Amino acid sequence: MSDQLRSFLFAAATCLVCTISLTAASTGLKEFQQKNVAMDRQKNILKSVGLIDENTGYTHEEINKLYADNIKCMWVDSKGSIIKKGQKAEKELHVYIYMKNDRIESYILPIDSRGLWGRILGYLALKNDGSTIAGFTVYKHSETPGLGGEIEKRWFQKNFEGKKIVSRTGNFLSLSIAKGGVEDTVPEDMRGNYVDGISGATLTGKYLSSGLKDILLEYEPVSLKFRTKKLLRLTPGQKSCPVRKEK
Amino acid sequence: MRLHDLFIPNVRKRVQKMKITHTRHFKAFSEPLIKSNPVFIQMLGICSALAVTVQLKTAIVMALSLTFVLAFSNLIISMLRKVIPRNIRMLVELSVIATLVIIADEVLRAFLYDISKQLSVFVGLIITNCIVMGRAETFALGNSPGLSFLDGLGNGAGYGSVLVAVAFIRELLGSGKLFGFNVIPHSFYNAGYENMGFMLLAPAAFIIIGLLVWLQKSIAKE
Repeated sequence: MSDQLRSFLFAAATCLVCTISLTAASTGLKEFQQKNVAMDRQKNILKSVGLIDENTGYTHEEINKLYADNIKCMWVDSKGSIIKKGQKAEKELHVYIYMKNDRIESYILPIDSRGLWGRILGYLALKNDGSTIAGFTVYKHSETPGLGGEIEKRWFQKNFEGKKIVSRTGNFLSLSIAKGGVEDTVPEDMRGNYVDGISGATLTGKYLSSGLKDILLEYEPVSLKFRTKKLLRLTPGQKSCPVRKEK
Repeated sequence: MRLHDLFIPNVRKRVQKMKITHTRHFKAFSEPLIKSNPVFIQMLGICSALAVTVQLKTAIVMALSLTFVLAFSNLIISMLRKVIPRNIRMLVELSVIATLVIIADEVLRAFLYDISKQLSVFVGLIITNCIVMGRAETFALGNSPGLSFLDGLGNGAGYGSVLVAVAFIRELLGSGKLFGFNVIPHSFYNAGYENMGFMLLAPAAFIIIGLLVWLQKSIAKE
């Protein structure tokens, strides 16, 4: 056997063995990983409305219980009305609801935005006044660690709390990430609609801003209902809903 | 001369040789711990030593992952060392290392999801960690599987001990915690003590590693 052929065969055999072991590892562990991912997403939903504390550890059972007790969900059509079971609408939007004492405390929008290197997936919670942000979390992204990757950090997400998606006169304005600190770069009357940017991650901020705007615009009919106090009512006794898989 | 006398010295010699600290196997394991520590002496794997040492928990998981990859890549490559064709040996080594790293990453994602999220890319980057490739090239290709495996464990432990030492200092001074638990009493904070925010940044790790290298060199001299 010539040397070249031997090398070639050896390489092929190496590839085969590596592929088989990787496939085995990936399929064998998939079930555990998916469970973790679903758990992580529940945790993020709870975090966005401030139900869990970042520094405390929670067992899977605790998370499941908190989620089942507090989070419900609904489907709305493009006009912001709830789609009842069995009905169909042209456009169906999914909203998670945080129920407190049988009232809707806040509603949570799934975020799917473009980032610099990939999609940014997370949740944006809005209070029942339809204009104030209750929290923001990110559970999946591919931004650069230390730069754009800071969007998953508490210091960045904390800035969203209490910001508005409407202008002072009450018109929809969305929420943007400033280029630099809000106090230095944004005129005073707009500061409520901006959060501090991340230095070294201007593009991540730009894409996330436009992603948030698209999503908030899409859900504007729902927000409008909350803003005009036409409180959406959920059918009482609704069961909790599982977290949805990303598209 | 009796037969008995003839054998005694030999036996004694053998006993001395059998002393565990003198075996080649022990040396393969112990030398990289201090004498030729991969981080201190060879200055390898510094990048990840900066990145994952903010907390002890991540540092330990990272150290274990690297030790696993290193020990088994050394073992596998050493077992294959007589059949790997010379011209593609680096490619083969790399495939073995990459496969092991991905397996380690998958296991972490299945059982230690939160930590694996914090480690993000750095587990994947073990593939490019010079320690792994370096040991495969310089040690595993020329030594028996058993020795190579021990060498991998030793280097992993050497790297890990540095990581843990740096993480211990950074977590304690930077956030007043160890393994996520508060260890600095409240009375200290009330008396005006503050955590050093600087310890949480990468430059702090550089400085600590520098100081540790200094310490290690001055001890080794004696």
